[in-house]
Amino acid sequence: MAARPMASRPMTARSRRWSPNRRTRQAWLTAALFLFPAIALYLVFAFIPTLEVFEYSLNRWDGISPDREWVGLGNYDRLFSDRIFWEAFVNTIEWTAIIVVINVGLGVVLAAILARKIKGRIFFQTCMFIPVIQAPITTAIIWRWMYQPNGAINEGLNAIGLGFLATPWLGDLTTALPALAIAHSWSTLGLSIVIFLAGLQAVDDELYDAAKIDGATPIQAFWYITLPALRPVTAVVFVLTATAAFKAFDLIWGTTQGGPIRATEILATYMYKRGVLENNYGYGSAVAVALLVIVTVAMAVYLYMQARRDD
Amino acid sequence: MSRRMIVYGLLALVSLLMLAPLLMTAFTALKPAEELVSPPWVPPLAPTFEHFVTTWVDANFNTYFMNSVIISTVDALVMIVIASAAAYALTFLKFPGKPIIFGLLLAGLMIPPTAIILPLYVTGQRLGLLNTHLGVILADLALAVPIFIFLMSAYFRRIPKELRDAARVDGASEIQVYWRVILPISTPAIITTGLLEFLWSWNDLLLRLLFLTQDNLRTLTVGMLFFQGTQTRDISGLTSAAMIMAIPIIIIFIIFQRHFVQGMTQGAVK
Repeated sequence: MAARPMASRPMTARSRRWSPNRRTRQAWLTAALFLFPAIALYLVFAFIPTLEVFEYSLNRWDGISPDREWVGLGNYDRLFSDRIFWEAFVNTIEWTAIIVVINVGLGVVLAAILARKIKGRIFFQTCMFIPVIQAPITTAIIWRWMYQPNGAINEGLNAIGLGFLATPWLGDLTTALPALAIAHSWSTLGLSIVIFLAGLQAVDDELYDAAKIDGATPIQAFWYITLPALRPVTAVVFVLTATAAFKAFDLIWGTTQGGPIRATEILATYMYKRGVLENNYGYGSAVAVALLVIVTVAMAVYLYMQARRDD
Repeated sequence: MSRRMIVYGLLALVSLLMLAPLLMTAFTALKPAEELVSPPWVPPLAPTFEHFVTTWVDANFNTYFMNSVIISTVDALVMIVIASAAAYALTFLKFPGKPIIFGLLLAGLMIPPTAIILPLYVTGQRLGLLNTHLGVILADLALAVPIFIFLMSAYFRRIPKELRDAARVDGASEIQVYWRVILPISTPAIITTGLLEFLWSWNDLLLRLLFLTQDNLRTLTVGMLFFQGTQTRDISGLTSAAMIMAIPIIIIFIIFQRHFVQGMTQGAVK
């Protein structure tokens, strides 16, 4: 009789030590069951390839043959003295800058107009959003056709008496990149407007009424109420537009493929040419790393801002 | 009053300009050959579907269309299941290593697919997935799953905890709670996920360009790229091809407009 509690005490102690472990293991197994498909796919087809880009960039490799030659930072050494890479880099910045200016500038103004009490607002918003859902390759085909020497743009200019402005938009070294940037903006502006609109919903309508009573013009109301209220959202649109532009490929590949000469060569098309078309996986990956680092840093800053805003 | 008119006039003008490229494409695709000389903004006098038929049958767009439908539909359906399951675990379950999983997925939000296309191609090659729809589907899912996990988690977090706890007390397993309790009340998040994944899948070019080199496996995006590379001067062909690609998406958009706009504002990260 006396021995029993003696014996049972270490038993309970052990089972107490055991049960949380078993529960932990079971919790882990249940969670793993739910997480496995998503995480396994993500690791194999997204996360590991991201690490591999860095690895490839340190080798000379054609992507197929078993012999890979380790070249250390050799590819980067070549990259930094590669005039075409820098041309593509400058083009990417210019392309991104034009798109950001259009999307933020027009986006704010159109959102501010749409945010006022306007009948048929949903209709206007829909019209502006329909280009957003188009595939970039559809945008490429339509705008390439419109930009042709005898295409819609030049015919339109002729029709309104501005025929002297007509030019082969995509064949001209100075107009090709801005022309494509406008096409990209066409297909992304609607999203910027909607994000700005979401930001404007936070602005109190009474502010506008008060401003009106005080005799403020709509322009003054826009300048002193709308713009300051939109500052955080502007940062969001800025980063999202810029990263989307930076990694764009389809639109340029479907129109000029980087030409004429190299007027529309951007990082993504240059990576594709060196990596895929020339089977130079090491060098192509070094270009990809440049792209990856710039976009990732921008996105990290964005997510940090979002998290701070949500707090 | 006059100020109102200016605002409406301006909005109408901008809307028209935004729709003009698509309208002119539609007009041109519907014009019989002899009307092609009229400016693109002039509607067709005797609209014809003959170019659509030619593109659909002779240029193989019926095959491309079916391939796109299959890949995008499977993408959307599987994404709903795997993203919601993972989001369920991350929102409702307690398990060790959760912060690590979170960190991994957060990194996934920042990866631009364009930049990892080379190793992705090699991965596809190693696993024998090139020239298969399965390969494209798996890569699509992997590249977008982090965004949808976060989108679903955001929705799940607003579900009262008591709902799940009550079902657990009644003896339901986690899988039953997920399938019978949580998913049925998450329709908005499910629709958004399905629509966005369908759209992104429908519109993607680069991955399909690398993975699908056999013509009969190609999607609309790749088919269009090659079609416009060879048929540069076939304006009717090009415009009707662009319409074949745009019309299904526009129809789906008009039906589910609210979900699209909300979802794209939330998921704008991609």
